[in-house]
Amino acid sequence: MSARIPHDASVNGHLVDGIFRYIFVATTACFIVVVVVMLVAVVFHRAGRGPAHYTHGKHQVSYVLTALVAAAIFVGVDLVAMRRSADDLRQHFWHFPDRDPAALRVEVTAQQWAWTFRYAGADGRFDTADDVVTLNELHVPVATPIYLKLRSKDVVHSFYLPNFRTKIDAVPGNTTRLWFEAREPGTFEIGCAQHCGVSHYKMRALLFSTSADDFQRWLARAAGDTALRRDTGPPVAIPDVDGWDWES
Amino acid sequence: MPADETAGGAGDEASGDGDADPADESQQAPRGWWRRYVFSTDHKTIAKQFLFLGLGFLAVGGFLAMLIRWQLANPGAPFPLVGKLLYGSSGGVISPAAYTALFTMHGTIMIFFAITPILIGAFGNFCIPLLIGARDMVFPRLNLLSFWSMFLSTAILTASFFVPLGAPQAGWTAYPTLSTAIGTPGLGQTLWTVAIYFNGASSIMGAVNYITTVIRLRAPGMGYFQMPLTVWGFWLTSILNALFVPVLAAGMVLLFFDRVFGTQFFIAGTAIRGGGDPILYQHLFWLFGHPEVYILILPAWGIVSDLLSFFARKPAFGYRVTVWSMIAVVVLSSLVYGHHMFVTGMSPMLGESFMLLTMIISVPAVVLFFNWLGTIWRGAMRTTPPMLFALGLVFTFAIGGLTGLFLADIEADVYLHDTYFVVGHFHLIMAAAVLLAAFAGIHYWFPKMFGRMMNGPLGKLHFWLTILPLNVVFCGQLLIGYAGMQRRLYDPSAYEFLRPLLELNRGISHAAFLLGAAQLIFVVNFFWSLARGRKAEPNPWQVGTLEWTVPSPPPHHNFDRIPIVRQGPHELGNPRVIEALGRDWLAQDEEMP
Amino acid sequence: MSRVAGAGGAETGGGRTAAARDVDATIGMTILLGAWVMLFAALFLAYGVVRVQANEWPPFGAPRLPRGVPALNTLLLIASSLLLRRGLARARGGGASSVATAAAAAALLGAGFLGAQLAVWRVMLARGLFPSSGVYGSVFFALTGFHALHVLGGVVAISVLAVQAARARRRGRAPLRALRLTALYWDFVAIVWVAMYLAVYWL
Repeated sequence: MSARIPHDASVNGHLVDGIFRYIFVATTACFIVVVVVMLVAVVFHRAGRGPAHYTHGKHQVSYVLTALVAAAIFVGVDLVAMRRSADDLRQHFWHFPDRDPAALRVEVTAQQWAWTFRYAGADGRFDTADDVVTLNELHVPVATPIYLKLRSKDVVHSFYLPNFRTKIDAVPGNTTRLWFEAREPGTFEIGCAQHCGVSHYKMRALLFSTSADDFQRWLARAAGDTALRRDTGPPVAIPDVDGWDWES
Repeated sequence: MPADETAGGAGDEASGDGDADPADESQQAPRGWWRRYVFSTDHKTIAKQFLFLGLGFLAVGGFLAMLIRWQLANPGAPFPLVGKLLYGSSGGVISPAAYTALFTMHGTIMIFFAITPILIGAFGNFCIPLLIGARDMVFPRLNLLSFWSMFLSTAILTASFFVPLGAPQAGWTAYPTLSTAIGTPGLGQTLWTVAIYFNGASSIMGAVNYITTVIRLRAPGMGYFQMPLTVWGFWLTSILNALFVPVLAAGMVLLFFDRVFGTQFFIAGTAIRGGGDPILYQHLFWLFGHPEVYILILPAWGIVSDLLSFFARKPAFGYRVTVWSMIAVVVLSSLVYGHHMFVTGMSPMLGESFMLLTMIISVPAVVLFFNWLGTIWRGAMRTTPPMLFALGLVFTFAIGGLTGLFLADIEADVYLHDTYFVVGHFHLIMAAAVLLAAFAGIHYWFPKMFGRMMNGPLGKLHFWLTILPLNVVFCGQLLIGYAGMQRRLYDPSAYEFLRPLLELNRGISHAAFLLGAAQLIFVVNFFWSLARGRKAEPNPWQVGTLEWTVPSPPPHHNFDRIPIVRQGPHELGNPRVIEALGRDWLAQDEEMP
Repeated sequence: MSRVAGAGGAETGGGRTAAARDVDATIGMTILLGAWVMLFAALFLAYGVVRVQANEWPPFGAPRLPRGVPALNTLLLIASSLLLRRGLARARGGGASSVATAAAAAALLGAGFLGAQLAVWRVMLARGLFPSSGVYGSVFFALTGFHALHVLGGVVAISVLAVQAARARRRGRAPLRALRLTALYWDFVAIVWVAMYLAVYWL
C-alpha cells in the first residue's frame, strides 16, 4: 500500500516538491513536540501521582513564552514558507512566457466531459482556417515553454497536470492561463480537478511530450486530420469558446 | 421600580404586550404533552430536540459516507444488504449520478444538519443559560422558532431525495454553473437552496439569542472573563453566525433566482450579451464558508479548553490569552476566504494577500495549543471518557491544523487543491476534532441533561475504536491526496496514475467501515444509559461551573436563586481550597476560603 | 403555580423588569438587523461585481428605468417610517389611540409602496426587461423583488400591530415593545430602499 507522488516531468515541479518537503519537516517537528508533551502529561501527570500544580498561567514568564513560541513558529515556518513560495511563484509559475517567441501557445476548451486543444497552425494566429484542433490529446515538444489559455463551454472545470504539479480552473465567461515546460519525453495524464457533473471522473486527456522534430511531424499530420474533419462541414461551435483570438 | 412603558397600563412586571417575562415563563413549568415536549420554550428541551435531530442526521450522513467508501473500495460492485433497496434499478450498484448525490448530501448533512444542531443548537442551548446562571435564554420563543426553522429545513432537504431527477448533485459547495438550471436541472437542487436558507435562518435566530443572552443574563459577579471558555466558544461562534450566514443566504437567494426566474448572476455572458460570473458565487460562498469552519470549531475549542482544565484538576492555562486568541481568529476568519480560490485565476497580489492572512491565522491556533498543553502539564489527570475525547481532539486537531499550512501556501496548494489532501485536512478538523468534541460534550453533560451517567468503560471503548480508525481514514486520505487523487471521483481507475491507489483506498474504506461500526457502541451506550444508567448526582465531575450547582437534571427554572458569582470557572487544585475544604475544586458561587 | 421563593428582585429572583426586557429586545433586534444588513450588503456586493465586470451600464439596448415613481416610492417609505416613529413617541405621553392610527397610516403607505413597485415592474416587463434579460434585468428584479418581500412582511406586521393597538384602546395595554421593534425594522427597510434606489436608479 504505497502512495507515491507522481513522477515529476516538469522543469519547475521540483520547486513544489521542495516547499512541500519544507512544510512537512516543519509541521512534523511541531507535531512531535505536541505529542511528546501530551504523552508525558498523560503518562506521568496523572491523578494519584501527586497534586496538580496550581497555576493560571498568568505570570509574565508564561506570556513571554507564549509570545516567543508563536513568533518562532510564525517567523520560522510561516514567513519562510511564504517568502520561498512567493519567490517561486513570481520567478517561475507566474512568470508567463508572454514575450518568449519560442513558447508554444495552445488554447484549451473545457467542456462536459472532454478537453479540446487548439494550435495556431502555420499562420501563427488562432481562430483561422489552418488551426489544428485535437480532442483529449495535447502534444508538446520537450524543453519548450507551453503557454495555455483556457476557457469553458459550460461549467467550471480544472485542468490538472499531476506530473507537472500544477492546475488551473477553466471558468465559463473567463479566460485563465497556465504555463509549463516538460523536461523529458513521455505520456502523461491530464485530469479534471473540479466537480463538473456525472462524468467528471472520466474527463481525462493525455499529454504527449516528444522531441521537437517528432512534434513538428505530428503537427503536420494533425493539420491534415483537422482539415479533413473540416471538409465534412463546420463543427457547431460556441463563438469565443471554440477558438478565439489569443490576445483578446 | 423603573417606569413602566406601557401606554395606560399599570402592570409592574410583564410589559403586557403578550411577551411574557421569561422569569414568569420559566418559573411555571408547562403542562400538557405538546407544550412540554414538542412546542416547549425551555432551552433544555429545545437543546434535546436539536440533539436528537442532529444525532439522527449524523447517522444518515455517516451511512452515506459508508456508501461512498464502498464505491471507492469496490468500484461498480453492488452495495451489500440494502443496496438493492436503495438502487433497485441498477441491482444495488451505485451509479455515477447516484455517487454525485451521495457526496453532495453527505457534506450538506454533516455540516448543516449534524454538527450545527449538535454542537451549536444542542450544546449552545443547553449550556449557555446554565453556565452563566440564567433561567433560560433571553428570547425563549425565538428559540422555539429557531428549532422549528431547522426542522423545516430538514423536511425540505429530505424531500429533495424523492423528487424526479433526485437529490442535488453539485457538491455541498454547489458551484455554478453546475448548480444552476443548466448544470443540474430539477427540483432537488432548488429545494436544496431553500433548505439551506431555512437552516441559515435557524442559525441566525439562534445567534441573536445566544449573543443577547450572554450580554444580558450573566449572573451578578460573572464578568466576561469569569465565563467558562465553553460560553466564549458559543458566544464568538454566534457572532460569526450572525455576520456571515446572511452572506450564504444572499448566495442562496441569487442561486434560487437564477434557477427559478432565469436571472443570470452566476451564468456567464456571451459576446452579445454581458453576463454574470460564476466566480461571484465562490466569493459569496467562501465569505461565508471560511468563517463557517470556525463557526463549527469554536464551540469545540471552548468545550475542550474547559474539559482539559476540569480533568487535569488545575486551572485553564492562560485563560485570557485563550480568549483573545479565539477573538483574533474571529476577526481574521473573514479575511482569509480566498485560499479556497487559489486556482481560479485570481490576481497574484490578491492571492499573496490571502496567503499571508491565512498564515497569520495559524498564530492564534498555535497559542491555543500552547495553552492546552500548559493546562494538562503537571496536572493530576483523570482519564474519563470526556477527557479522552478532549485529548483526542487535541491530537487530531494538531494534525488537521498543521496540514492546513500546506494548503495555505499557494505553491503547494496549486498541486493539492481539489485532491484528497484537502478532504483529509478538513475531515481531520471537522469530522474528527468537532465530532470528538461532540462526544466529549455528550459524555460530560449527559448526567446534567438526563440525570443519569453514561457507562464509563463503554465510553472508553468507543473512544479507542473511534480515534484509531479515524486517524487511519483521514491520514490515509492525506496520503492519497499527496499521490494526486482528485476529489469527487466516482471511479479513480479511470486514471492510470491512480490505479496503484486502489489498495490504499480499500484500506481506508475498511477503516471507515470499522469507524462506522464502532459508533454503534455509542448508540447502545447512549440509549441504554438513558433508560438504565446510574442516577447522577448534581456534580459527578466535581467541578465548579454553575450548571453543577443544580440538580441533575435541573428543574424547569434552573436555579432556585440566581447565584452570585465569586470565582472564575477553573478554580481547581488551589492549595488554600484543598486545605480549608478538603476538596480540590471551588464552585463559582462559593467564597474563597 | 406559585412563584419560587426568592424570586422577588431582579438580582436573586431572575425576574426581569419591563425596562430590562426593552433593552434585551432592542439589543436582539439590533443584532438581527445587523445580520439583515449583511444579507443586503452581500446582494449589493453581487450587484457591484456584475456591474464592474460589464462593458457598459446600462447595457446597450436595455429599456430605460423610470425615475419618477421610484422617487415617489422613496418618499412613501420615508414618510411611513416617520409616521410610525411619531406615533410611538406620542404613545409614551399616554396616547394609545395615536399608536393605532399611526400604525394604520404607516401600513397604508407601505401598501402604497408595494402597489407602486408592482406598477413599475409591469412597466418594465412591458418595455421588454425581464429577470432573464441578462444581468441588468437580473439585478433590477432580484434586488427590488427581494426588498419588496421585506416591505410586504413589514406591512403585515404593522397591520397586525395596528389592530392590536386599536383593541388595546379599551384594555389599555398597547403592544409597545413589539411596535418599537417593528419600527426599527421598518426604518431598516426604508434605509435599504434609499440605498437601493440610489444604486439601481441613479448610479
